[in-house]
Amino acid sequence: MVSNTAVVEQEAEFETTAYHPVESELGSVIDIDEFSFWYGEKQALFGNTMKIQKELVTALIGPSGCGKSTLLRALNRMNDLIDGIRSEGKIAIEGTDIHDPRVEVIELRKRLGMVFQKPNPFPMSIFENVVYPLRVDGIRDRNLLEETCERSLRDAALWDEVSDRLQDNALGLSGGQQQRLCIARAIASEPEIILMDEPCSALDPIATARIEDLIAQLKENFSIVIVTHNMQQAARVSDNTAFMFLGRLIEYGETKKMFMNPMHVRTSDYITGRFG
Amino acid sequence: MKAKEPKKRKEKRETEIPSVDEDSGNHKEPPPETAEVAETEKSPPGRTGLRASIDFKARGEPFVWIMGGALALGVLMIIGFLALVLWNGIVTFYPGPVEVVTLKNGKKIAGEPFRSESFRPSEDQLKGVDPESRRAIREADGFASRTLYRIGNFDVYNEDFKWAVAHQVAKTETPPGIFFVERREWGPFIGFIKTLTLDGRSVPGEKVSLGTLYAAHDEAVARREAVRSIEVDEIGAINYYIEEDRLALRRTELDYGKKSAEYHTEKEKFERQTKERRAGFTVLKKRIAAINEEDEKYKITLTEIGGREKQLRLSELVRIYPANDLSFFGKMGVYFSRWGEFLTDDPREANTEGGVLPAIFGTVMMTLLMVVFVAPFGVVTALYLREYAKQGTLVSIVRICVNNLAGVPSIVYGVFGLGFFAYTIGIRIDQLFYPEKLPNPTYGTGGLLWASLTLALLTVPVVIVATEEALAAVPRSMREGSLACGASKWQTIRNIVLPQAMPGIMTGLILAMARGAGEVAPLMLVGVVKLAPELPFDSFFPFLHPERSFMHLGFHIYDVGFQSRNSEAGKPMVFVTTLLLIAIIAFMNAFAIMIRNRLRRKFVEGQF
Ligand SMILES: Nc1ncnc2c1ncn2[C@@H]1O[C@H](COP(=O)(O)OP(=O)(O)OP(=O)(O)O)[C@@H](O)[C@H]1O
Ligand SMILES: [Mg+2]
Repeated sequence: MVSNTAVVEQEAEFETTAYHPVESELGSVIDIDEFSFWYGEKQALFGNTMKIQKELVTALIGPSGCGKSTLLRALNRMNDLIDGIRSEGKIAIEGTDIHDPRVEVIELRKRLGMVFQKPNPFPMSIFENVVYPLRVDGIRDRNLLEETCERSLRDAALWDEVSDRLQDNALGLSGGQQQRLCIARAIASEPEIILMDEPCSALDPIATARIEDLIAQLKENFSIVIVTHNMQQAARVSDNTAFMFLGRLIEYGETKKMFMNPMHVRTSDYITGRFG
Repeated sequence: MKAKEPKKRKEKRETEIPSVDEDSGNHKEPPPETAEVAETEKSPPGRTGLRASIDFKARGEPFVWIMGGALALGVLMIIGFLALVLWNGIVTFYPGPVEVVTLKNGKKIAGEPFRSESFRPSEDQLKGVDPESRRAIREADGFASRTLYRIGNFDVYNEDFKWAVAHQVAKTETPPGIFFVERREWGPFIGFIKTLTLDGRSVPGEKVSLGTLYAAHDEAVARREAVRSIEVDEIGAINYYIEEDRLALRRTELDYGKKSAEYHTEKEKFERQTKERRAGFTVLKKRIAAINEEDEKYKITLTEIGGREKQLRLSELVRIYPANDLSFFGKMGVYFSRWGEFLTDDPREANTEGGVLPAIFGTVMMTLLMVVFVAPFGVVTALYLREYAKQGTLVSIVRICVNNLAGVPSIVYGVFGLGFFAYTIGIRIDQLFYPEKLPNPTYGTGGLLWASLTLALLTVPVVIVATEEALAAVPRSMREGSLACGASKWQTIRNIVLPQAMPGIMTGLILAMARGAGEVAPLMLVGVVKLAPELPFDSFFPFLHPERSFMHLGFHIYDVGFQSRNSEAGKPMVFVTTLLLIAIIAFMNAFAIMIRNRLRRKFVEGQF
């Protein structure tokens, strides 16, 4: 694998993305156009172009270090926290360029909820965790907060388990519950898009199944981008799948087609487990 | 049975790993049988052979011993120190017996035995000694023993302590009826009661019952307190208002000039008011005189062991007890009453007697004020350094400088505090806000405020370093979670980072507090005094007077132990005060640790 890298990289220069996603009736929600990204001197993304479809689930797959997280975090500009980063190309959400100087990062992030690999509930009560996005907006209205809390927890399939202990510390929940709490938090401010970076990698199969069910439900109202290392999971939950390799989008297409007969040889190699 | 087992193992091992045994054969091993027993009992089977062959040094055993030894030594020294302070501090107030020593030349010494030691008398000292004692001393390699007695009666003897050399002593006894009398002035008196005069009628000493004595003494103390309260509170208040008036007059003078009409009306008003207020003095003085007249009728006449007499008013006594006739409970009574006096009274006799209430007050107040300054300052600085400043060479340099500040001798901070706070800022403040009081400085000299600020400066590196570490320890995932929710950087810091860093910040504050409360050197320059005329807190607006000088337990220790008339007499007080200071610091720390643990409980799994 390591000895091949140089060759692969050379070849990659000439590769074009195999592009066959299902289109949503609602059109695309995120347009990524020739987007490149650098961590200091190191280039992590190489001119990727893709349209993420509205109210569908898009899975990002690819070997470790290929830039999935980088791409995902570029969407809500979480990479801004890192010193010495640089980007080229354009990302537009519902038509607005996110790098436009007039765009407030804070406002942008409110439109994209994010769920992380490791559940990261805050050391506060369950209630306060869920309504945190509203709190930072300065919302004090108790009724609104309570309504939002219940709705988000119901949407995150957690309400029945915690409705009687909303004031307990969130750190007392199990790992799977914590992750669903984080999902509830991510949807509390009613974003348009939910970004998930390997949301199930720290969970057991049962908790994973619950989250996957949840994703299927959330699809009704949200556009979801999910990074996963689990092929079966990608196949189960997503409508479109993007396969990335060494910072390049190799293939982006309808999940079913991609897993049945991938158009790109690298994709088939990866899916069949020949490398990665 | 036991010997057989290891033998079997040995055989097994030999077949399994022969090379290892070959190797260990080169070493000088103790007789194999016993060594085997020890080895196999401790280690799991199979690995025994390998371990035996590892070099002693490589196993790190010597280092473990050195580390353990260092720890033990440190712990031992701390325990020893604490035990010394604790023991001396606790026993000091326990009343001892009064011994009467009759010397061979007929002289008598009465006093509390203070300490004994053996010494080597010089030829001169041995001249008059009888041959028998001489032989005893010679047999003891020229050493004799002596005991130091606290004889009191300084006004009669001109000394507090006297040595009694063992070979000069004819007999030692603890006679009943001898009293240990603590006085408000001149230290203790040791002797017998000759007469007690109650309401003008005298009773001879033998007929005085302790009950009547104590009842009369309590009344006398009440009278003394009444006089004191008039002097301090009422006369003090009048003086305070006269001074306020004078300052108001002076303010008009400064504002309008001496020739203006305003000044004239103000001056007339002042003179009239002062006259009225002065009239108050006469009334109060009369009341004092009346009490004193009554007080004159209650007297006690004491005789010391040599027969000389001393007459005292009962109100001049602090405590009187028959040293050799006390039961255990009586002794405990004296013991606790002494502690009570120590904790709640003002100092007397150049601080060697009485209480330390003003010093307790000053110490606690200064430390709290210091925390009030150092906490926000240190935390804000650390926040900027860690969260906002661009991490680079400059920040690294700043960080190194901050760390090195902790190594600057504390007296330098004192000099800085005096020069900068008192003489630069303080004098400006005086010129701007208190011109009428000049040339007497208000803020232009050392005081509670400046001392607290100086100590805050001294301890701020501790807080900065601790806070920075606490901030750095907040997991990245928490920050990202908050930012992803659309929180701004400041909201993230305030809602997520700071609460989680709080226990760590508290740790820094606790360390700073302990350091600050125990610091003395810089304080001597910026406001601590031997005896503060007023507490920095009283009933006059604005109640808290941070410009006033104050007393401090640490300085009190230094003062009593090394600056007083008789350091021998001050020694027990040093221990008691040290014990108290340690107790106060421990108490404040315990309180802070309690708060910290409550905070910490929030961040671990569980409910709150
Ligand atoms: N903060 C950073 N600074 C420098 N390089 C980084 C940083 N984060 C990621 N990289 C580099 O960018 C490349 C892409 O990383 P990224 O985290 O996007 O990979 P990934 O596809 O998410 O991998 P994984 O599946 O292991 O999470 C990697 O080569 C990584 O080393
Ligand atoms: Mg990743």
